[in-house]
Amino acid sequence: MRRRLTVAALLVAALVFTGCGRDGNEDTGGQAAQGISSGPATGTITVWAMGTEGEKLSVLAKDFEAANPGVKVNVTAVPWDSAHDKISTAIAAKTTPDVSMIGTTWMGEFAKTGALDQTPTDFDKSAFFPGAWDTTVVDGTSYGVPWYVETRLIYYRTDLAAKAGVQPPTNQQQLKEFATALQQKGGAQWGINLQPGDTGSWQTFLPFVWQLGGDVTDASGNWTLDSPQMTQALEYYKSFFTAKLAPGALQPGELESMFVAGKIGAFVSGPWHIGILKEQGGAGFEQKFDVAHMPKEQAGTSFVGGSDLAVFKESKNRDSAWKFVQYLTRPEVQVKWYQTVSDLPSVQSAWSDPALSGDKFLSKFGDQLKDAKSPPAIPTWEQVAAVIDDEVEKATIGNTPPAEAVKAMQKQATSIGTGS
Amino acid sequence: MPVVERPAGAQAPAGRAHRSRGTRASAVRPGARGGRRQVSARTQRAVAAWLLATPFFALFLVFYAAPMLASFVMGFTDLRSTDLRHPLAVNLVGIDNYRRLASDETFRKAVVNTVLFVPVTLALTMVLALAVAVALHKGVERFRTLFRVGYYLPYVTAIVAVSVVWRVMYQHDSGVINRVLGFIGIDGPNWLESTTWSLPAIVIMTAWRGMGYQMVLFLAGLQAIPEGLYEAAEVDGASRWQRFRHVTLPMLRPTVLLGAVLGTIGLVQWFEEPFVMTRGGPLNSTLSVSMFTYNQFGFGNYSYAAAASYTIFAAMVALTAVQFRLLRSNT
Amino acid sequence: MTTATTYAPAAAGRRARRARRARRGRQWWIYALLLVGLVLAVAPFVWMVLGSVKPDAEVRQVPPTWWPENPTLDNYRELFQRLNFPRFFANSVIVATAVTLGNVVFCTMIGYALAKLSFPGRRTLFALVLAMLMIPTVATFVPLFVLVSNFGLANTFGGLILPFLAQPLGVFIMRQFIVGLPDELIDAARVDGAGELRILARVVAPLCGPPIATLAVITFFAQWNNFLWPLVVAQSEDKYTLPVALALYSIGQNNARFGLLMAGAVVIVIPILIIFAFLQRYVVQGIAVTGLKD
Repeated sequence: MRRRLTVAALLVAALVFTGCGRDGNEDTGGQAAQGISSGPATGTITVWAMGTEGEKLSVLAKDFEAANPGVKVNVTAVPWDSAHDKISTAIAAKTTPDVSMIGTTWMGEFAKTGALDQTPTDFDKSAFFPGAWDTTVVDGTSYGVPWYVETRLIYYRTDLAAKAGVQPPTNQQQLKEFATALQQKGGAQWGINLQPGDTGSWQTFLPFVWQLGGDVTDASGNWTLDSPQMTQALEYYKSFFTAKLAPGALQPGELESMFVAGKIGAFVSGPWHIGILKEQGGAGFEQKFDVAHMPKEQAGTSFVGGSDLAVFKESKNRDSAWKFVQYLTRPEVQVKWYQTVSDLPSVQSAWSDPALSGDKFLSKFGDQLKDAKSPPAIPTWEQVAAVIDDEVEKATIGNTPPAEAVKAMQKQATSIGTGS
Repeated sequence: MPVVERPAGAQAPAGRAHRSRGTRASAVRPGARGGRRQVSARTQRAVAAWLLATPFFALFLVFYAAPMLASFVMGFTDLRSTDLRHPLAVNLVGIDNYRRLASDETFRKAVVNTVLFVPVTLALTMVLALAVAVALHKGVERFRTLFRVGYYLPYVTAIVAVSVVWRVMYQHDSGVINRVLGFIGIDGPNWLESTTWSLPAIVIMTAWRGMGYQMVLFLAGLQAIPEGLYEAAEVDGASRWQRFRHVTLPMLRPTVLLGAVLGTIGLVQWFEEPFVMTRGGPLNSTLSVSMFTYNQFGFGNYSYAAAASYTIFAAMVALTAVQFRLLRSNT
Repeated sequence: MTTATTYAPAAAGRRARRARRARRGRQWWIYALLLVGLVLAVAPFVWMVLGSVKPDAEVRQVPPTWWPENPTLDNYRELFQRLNFPRFFANSVIVATAVTLGNVVFCTMIGYALAKLSFPGRRTLFALVLAMLMIPTVATFVPLFVLVSNFGLANTFGGLILPFLAQPLGVFIMRQFIVGLPDELIDAARVDGAGELRILARVVAPLCGPPIATLAVITFFAQWNNFLWPLVVAQSEDKYTLPVALALYSIGQNNARFGLLMAGAVVIVIPILIIFAFLQRYVVQGIAVTGLKD
């Protein structure tokens, strides 16, 4: 019995293995992007969107259907939790929808599977924020368009700053002085909160590298994690912790509570905190905080994230799918979308709408978006990001000297590769 | 030809109500027919057994064995998530993944953490559960259902809620645990931020959470111990502790084995608690092998993750075999 | 609780009274300890329930508040309004019930075969089932989904139910219990001319109340909370189960709505608690005899 089972297993294995082996057949790149036909959209378009976007997209879908009689848009809302797994498995089983919303840091991986359709030439890349557009570019080709964006600014307590007699910083040295003043003269326990490591800390850390003119990869796509700018930025980042200006790791909810209580003078985050702070601070708290542009060295760069829209190659209604995407990136539709779910438009001209340009907080986000970068859209990014998070943690709250930490980052990143 | 002679009224062990199926003493059957019937009865039984087993077995082959084989094979390739559209167009790399795992510092840390975590948490959980079960079984007479459901609650409470409460308890300055330690004059550490103490912190929390499940097992096991044994021991002059040691514990051996096997399987796949409380930190001090595997899947390193999962699988099989050996009951 | 009463009645009475007093004294601090433990065990659950009636800002507050300062039913209102609750609840009930029923039937069948019938391959089959208990699911779900969708089962109830109809734990429980049933009973039925299926249905199964209750609770619980698989299998929202739908509205790209999350967690746990409270007596009895015998 046992022998028979072993033989059977070997046979199955043999059959499987004969089909194995890479033959260099990549179906990414090498093909020209196709255009979109003229005329209205037709047929059925299936769309996946995550979270609130998935819930509310039907609002825009109805407008689209009205403008294109006969077309039917089916939106399926997908939870953010495990959405990445859902898309991967759909690609594996070839059960992908026509259109999907894809987080900016996932584009590299999904594009490399060959499942995404190249962005048609009908899209004008200059209409979008450059940092956002870059999130769609893999190996020089664009797969999808940015849908909505977010970027990071320095939130700070205006009352504490006034008490300390300081203005928001314009360069990195001033940022440190700003935090010190908030702490010593403004009465805050901690001058500024910076994420010391742990998932996503690279989003707070890397901007300091970009401001110094450095980056994680060079023009040829090789890792440059041990560059002088990286070392300098990490030393700068660490100095906040050694000088006890930054508190270290906080529990969920502590940041908002402490900021509202005036124990933390400033922190770095994205637009979602506006709503949270207004809610937690209660009436009138809006007057007590503001947001400031990133400090400027060679540039005043911040991180840009958000979500892109992509059409799948397997789509049976490719043309109409792209038409829907086109619709969603029209400036007036982007404004309507902002009004529906508070997502910031990726299209630059949408920002001239008074709903955005008139808001005291949002206008600053719009300003920062003009100088914001994203990490390279490569399949191994998430893994390298985790390495960066780890080493940043070791440097900030551990005892590793920054020079060593960046060397370790470079070593591990090189062995992980860029997935090409 | 041996023939079965049935006395009227099949006897059942005391204490269990059985529906007797009608008791007819069957007569001895004639020889020749009995002979062929005996052989074909066995075959009939074998056929019946396989028929009964077939639905389960069929489902098992299709939905468990096939994917398992596929993922096992995956562990010997260099499949990444970017290969998902052409899963067969990958290279066979032999045991390369396993070799890489052996030299992967993070994986080694995860293994060490898991190896430390599993036996300690299992022991702690079982001791706690046994204590509570004994208390509920003999120690108190009222509110038993309330206590039972109450102690089972952590097992079904959302991990987010559990983590909030335990985080508060582990607070460095104001947390309950450090305050209690302060009464005894011990300066409690910053539990969740310390690389030495975060693992013990999670051990305690996981033990508390899983206790309910083991408690139910022990309650059941305790109920199965016949009162007569205790009475006999008492007559012989045994103290309560001696009764516990010489009657309760040995009789509980099968239950302990069951709990240990199930508990180990659950703990080796330990994921939720470190994920929500500390995300495997600080500095990977609470990283479990399951979480390592999960992360690798997240990075798209499917073949590497598959190899890691089968390492867990092999470990569990080994552990279970050991437990069977150690705890096999002779009763 | 019986005390040995083999001595003279008067002395026995005195002894019994002394014992009772001692017991009461002992019981006092056992109760106390148990109560402390109970508070600790129940605390997160209570916090969860209280958190579901707090506004989001308060739930996030650190240090966490206990009693809600501004109790509100908004979380529940929002949940039920946004969520097509009846549909998701129904899906969860259908899937969990179908899987539970299927498991009860199939596991009893194979459990009986493994316990009472000797046939070639029995040992291998049992070892195989035991090994199944240890397969890490994270490794198999991608190949499983490819398989399921190639069968055309993506986005169907079949795809949600079939992969879970064979639970190794169920086989384990049933087999262990049935092993403990007296052989004489089954042999009697056999001699009376009953086929194995008949024996199973008429003799064995009616005795299996406790393990079936145990199996039902465990299986239902696991299926009810299952998140990743229903998420992956469903291609349209009408096939979502409750955990998937709840995650949809409470977890965002960069932050989570804690109040909603708590409300969702409470909604999900209530049916489980009801079932557990109801069946816990059977559950305890059911595991009583599944101690591991060979």
